[in-house]
Amino acid sequence: METHILKRDCEVRDVLLDYAKDGIFLEGSLLKLVRSEPEDEEFHQYLITAKQRDIDVRRKRLKITKQIQTQNDELAKASRVRDKLTDELEEALKISQENENKALSSYKKAEEVKENALKDLEVLQKKTRFKLMSLIVRVALTIIIGVGITTTLLYAYIIASGADTTIIETTWSNLFGILITNSFSIIGTIMGVRYANDKLKDIEL
Amino acid sequence: MIKSLLLVDDEELFHLVFEDACNILGITLSIESVNSSNEAEVMFRGWFEETNTRLRPECVFVDLNMKGSSFDGIELIRKINEEYGNNVVIGIISSSNDSEEIERAKEVGAMFWIVKTHDLEPRLESFKIDYDDYIDGNKTFTVYD
Repeated sequence: METHILKRDCEVRDVLLDYAKDGIFLEGSLLKLVRSEPEDEEFHQYLITAKQRDIDVRRKRLKITKQIQTQNDELAKASRVRDKLTDELEEALKISQENENKALSSYKKAEEVKENALKDLEVLQKKTRFKLMSLIVRVALTIIIGVGITTTLLYAYIIASGADTTIIETTWSNLFGILITNSFSIIGTIMGVRYANDKLKDIEL
Repeated sequence: MIKSLLLVDDEELFHLVFEDACNILGITLSIESVNSSNEAEVMFRGWFEETNTRLRPECVFVDLNMKGSSFDGIELIRKINEEYGNNVVIGIISSSNDSEEIERAKEVGAMFWIVKTHDLEPRLESFKIDYDDYIDGNKTFTVYD
């Protein structure tokens, strides 16, 4: 595109020079299309000043724009880092939540196992206790029956030998009464133990 | 000096940087900037279909990837060269320096590739020196990195 010379007698030239006194200069693309006459030093200087001002303004704006651009780039970079960290945090939180759920599930299972173990232990303790009681009762009953038989045999021997039976008679009578009473008590206990054992078997099943 | 230049880039802040850099270096008389390859395509289609091509730019700088565009800068260059009459000095201005993309651009008729960095002016100055050779067809594809 051709440039245009603004001659000395051109009204536009005078207007531009007049505006320049107030600090207003031509700028932008139009400035590149205007030339002065070779001998027109005043307008030539005007164009040099206007071009320099235009370049200075653009340099200043370019510097600021680049600063903003750099800041934007840094912000974008920081935003990407933040997004990445957020993603990682969310992932970690998710894993943590899953682990917590697994731990909770394991804890519940452990609690169940513990409860079952405690129940088993209680049943075992009861079973052992009832077996011991049963043994004691059986031994006691055997002793009572043994004492009864022994006393009866002794009484029978004394009767057969014709000795005085006054003392042994009273003793045997009292002893037998006690033995029968105790026997019934023990039989009752045995029945109780058996009933309890049956109940235990039901619990175990 | 380039009479008219079109910048196709989605980053509006870069429009200002580019315009100021071009004005300071005295590269062009006028610059028009658009945000997407779609907008640029519509403009070129208009210039191609109409007889009045006065507003058609002499030179086009196209960004490689643009948000809000349905096709990239290389595809835009292909369309301009193959569908809308060619006849412009056209190339890519991008922060990418990917050799495959550069090769792709070359294949569709891009004439230059300028790497967009913070320090853009030296590359634009080199381009300004080479511009007349691009017009005359004496310059082969060049990467300004």
